[in-house]
Formats: sequence, C-alpha cells, structure tokens
Amino acid sequence: MRVRHGELLLVMGFTGIMVTLFLAWEWAPSVSIDAFESPEAQRIFYWHVPAAWAAFIAFSVLFIGSALWVFKRSSLGWRLHVAGSEASLACGLMAVWSGCVWGAAEWGTPWDWTDVRLNTFGLLTLLALFLVLGRRSQPDGIESRDTFSTFGLYGFVLVPITYVATRIWQIRHPGPVIGGGEESSLSSDMGLVLLLGAISFTILIAGHMIMSTRITEYEQRLERLQNKVDGRI
Amino acid sequence: MEGMTYLAIAYLGMILGLGIWTWTVVSRSINLQSRIKALEDSLGLESFESDILASEVNDGE
Repeated sequence: MRVRHGELLLVMGFTGIMVTLFLAWEWAPSVSIDAFESPEAQRIFYWHVPAAWAAFIAFSVLFIGSALWVFKRSSLGWRLHVAGSEASLACGLMAVWSGCVWGAAEWGTPWDWTDVRLNTFGLLTLLALFLVLGRRSQPDGIESRDTFSTFGLYGFVLVPITYVATRIWQIRHPGPVIGGGEESSLSSDMGLVLLLGAISFTILIAGHMIMSTRITEYEQRLERLQNKVDGRI
Repeated sequence: MEGMTYLAIAYLGMILGLGIWTWTVVSRSINLQSRIKALEDSLGLESFESDILASEVNDGE
C-alpha cells in the first residue's frame, strides 16, 4: 500500500494541535490577574504564537520557491512558491484573527496602526493573499510566474523586519516569549504546551505543503492531458 | 464580553479556518486525481512530463 506522506502529516498535525488546545484550556497555568486586563483570553497565545511561527516557515518556503523559479526556472521551485503562498495565507490569517480577538479583549481595540509588528505581519498576510488570488485569476504563464515570484522574493524582506520589530520598537504587541532575555521567561508548563503547539503546527503545514505541491503537479498534468486531447500537443 | 467568550471566538474562528483550508486541499486533490485518471484511461497513457512551462524554458536554454 502506498504511503501518503501529506495526509499522514495532516492527521498527525491535527491531532497535535487538538491536544495543544485541550492542554491550553485544561492544564496550562493561568497568568496573574494583575498583569493582564483579560487573563482568560491570554490562552489564545497557545495557537496564536504557533500559527505565526508556521507562517514564518511558510514565508521562508515561499522565498526559496520564488528564488528557485526566478534563478533556476525550477518546476519544483514554482510548486514550492504555490505551496508557500497558500500556507502563508492560511497561517497568517489565523495569527491575525487570533491576535485581533486577543487585542480586543486585552487592549480594547483589535488593531493598532502605530505598532510596527502588527502592520508588517499584516502586510505579509496581504502579500500572500495577493499571490494566491492573483495566481488563480491569471492564466499560468512564464510572465505571470515571474511576476508573482518577484513579489515572493522581495516581499520576504518584511519577515526579518517583523521578527525584530518588538525588539526595536515595542509599542503595543508583547515582546518575544522565547529568546528575548529575562523578561521573556515562561513557566515550564506554559513552555511545554507552546512547544507542542509549535511542533504540531509545523507538522500540519508540512503536510499541507506536500499536498499543495502535489495538487500543482496534478493541475499541470491535467492541463497537458487536455491539450493532448484537444490535439495541441 | 467575558475573557472566555473572546477565547472561544478566537479558537472557533481558527478551527473553522483550518477546517475549510484542509477540506479545500483534500477535495481538490481527490477531484484532480479522478479527472486525470479518466483522461489517462481514455488516452491509454501511463504518465508523462507535467510542467510544460518549466520544461519548455529549460529546453530552450
């Protein structure tokens, strides 16, 4: 029997994120009620941070795929571009949605237009939306692939800016929860649930990207077959 | 609203998003596989080069 790695990773990822959700609600310790306006809503971060982490992995895949297409004209590069843009959009929207809900609970407003981290991450998600919708609305061709890959290539510059934003200009978004010095220390139980969430989201998007590259290959094969039927090959 | 209500809204939205995304990907994959199989059977083909654009560009260099 042929093993379907994409589907297997999807099932494993889903199982992991559901376990993360259960632990986040039932097991992870509460935060101090003095430190937060809405301490219960803080539990959003067990999916919000892993979703943002997964989005950064997807943006990296988008960058690599775009570079491979632009510089090598690689078929795999184009498939990675498509997979990376779809995964970036899904994970970016999840991070933005959960962040907005938490912002509404904690800050009293879902968005702060003066916060660099929020706005650069929002721009990255809009870039992914443009790439996904643009690719679906345009016929597949070398020019359209070049255009979208160039956006994927240069848009990546927003990723390091987003990463360092809270270290340089901390306005509203909280600072880094890991690797940000003494202020970023988490309790071990919280860190464990967060780690499980990050691993699960990584496995889930790996499964999604494998499925997505396969779908792009199917679309190309179908187009070729239809051309053959029409007598164009 | 209570903090728990915000929490539930955030997680329900993300679960819905994950569900739609996964359903779309899996159903597209199944649909394309069945269409390819039908065409390949009707043409009596096994399989052949899929990405015509990449192969045309690389062949031309």
